[in-house]
Amino acid sequence: MTKSEFCLMLDDIIEEERGTVTPDSALVDLLGWDSLAVLSFIAAADERMGKTLSGKEVEECETVGDLLKLVGDSVE
Amino acid sequence: MGATIHSIASHLPERNVSNEDLAAEFAGWTAEKIESKTGIKNRRIVADGEFASDMAAGAAGRLFDRGGIDRSSVDALLYCTQSPDYILPTTACLLQHRLGLPTGIAAFDFNLGCSGFIYGLGVASGLVASGQARRVLLLTADTYSRYLHKEDRGVRTIFGDGAAATLIDHADGEGGLGGPFVYGTDGSGAENLIIEAGGQRCPAAVPAGDDDDQPASRYLRMNGPEIFTFTLNVVPETVERLLEQGGLALGDIDLFVFHQANEYMLKHLRKRLGVPEEKFVISMHDCGNTVSSTVPIALEDAAASGRLVRGMRVMLLGFGVGYSWGGTIVRW
Repeated sequence: MTKSEFCLMLDDIIEEERGTVTPDSALVDLLGWDSLAVLSFIAAADERMGKTLSGKEVEECETVGDLLKLVGDSVE
Repeated sequence: MGATIHSIASHLPERNVSNEDLAAEFAGWTAEKIESKTGIKNRRIVADGEFASDMAAGAAGRLFDRGGIDRSSVDALLYCTQSPDYILPTTACLLQHRLGLPTGIAAFDFNLGCSGFIYGLGVASGLVASGQARRVLLLTADTYSRYLHKEDRGVRTIFGDGAAATLIDHADGEGGLGGPFVYGTDGSGAENLIIEAGGQRCPAAVPAGDDDDQPASRYLRMNGPEIFTFTLNVVPETVERLLEQGGLALGDIDLFVFHQANEYMLKHLRKRLGVPEEKFVISMHDCGNTVSSTVPIALEDAAASGRLVRGMRVMLLGFGVGYSWGGTIVRW
């Protein structure tokens, strides 16, 4: 998965128009980023990147860049 | 002597809370969105003055009447609830009297949530196999609706009230409840699904009104993402342990009935485990997550619809509050 695919995936998760999310986006500014979105993100990381993330570490992220760091080398 | 599941009867309260009802309360949410996120359309909620033990008695009454079961043949009553009538006595004692069961029987409550039904089956089959009982009535019932903050939509959309009565009978040979049974416990996750007030550490008198959720709340607090991660960690591992102990492969299981936590999570687990859709039961559309009663309710529904038939090998799994989890493979 590339960085831009990762951002598109997040667009879908927060149910926003594609192109809304960028690596610099602050999660607090993304209206759809709620606990359900966190859950969907954990599911996507598990299914598409083979990473089991903890709710805590995802909730501690402030930016999309922080989320990218969490999944590490699964995203090029 | 082996044990087997003789019959199951559930009981849901009358009052219905639909997605439309909830959407009207929560700005920005639609009935469709709630359904697509949870897989739940309706949940049933107890009326004022109606308690978990009332539902449990209702389920037991249905079970006795429908099956023509002689009440005096029951020699143990296990009641799984986190909504007891009183701190003491044990609600199972009240239910023994109310149901007209003999006085020469064992009766006790146990406090477990989503794993409770599996534990109940494990204890019941142990009582029968060791000759301590021949017929065990396992009741599961909860009224989580009373623990939910009215503005906490994350939990109000998911949980419903409900009860189930399951009769475990002695059987020749191994019986359907021959195991394997596997269990798991990890108290480090206690804070992720908890009601802090009401016990000894924080008596009910301490917290204030409805808008108070700090520092100790009388309301259920659920950290959904953490619970989800927990299930991702333990469910696949528990399935593996069960198959290994049973000397079985995934394809040997005819039907999978897991705790009906929410549909989104179940669908994800099903895919991750590689279980075909037709073998995986999702049965919470019209009752929501009824905690320890989800598995017996799903079993009763699957049997009624013809999806579950005698002779099938069925994997049952419960997981949640505690953290506590357990699983077994039964021969229906």
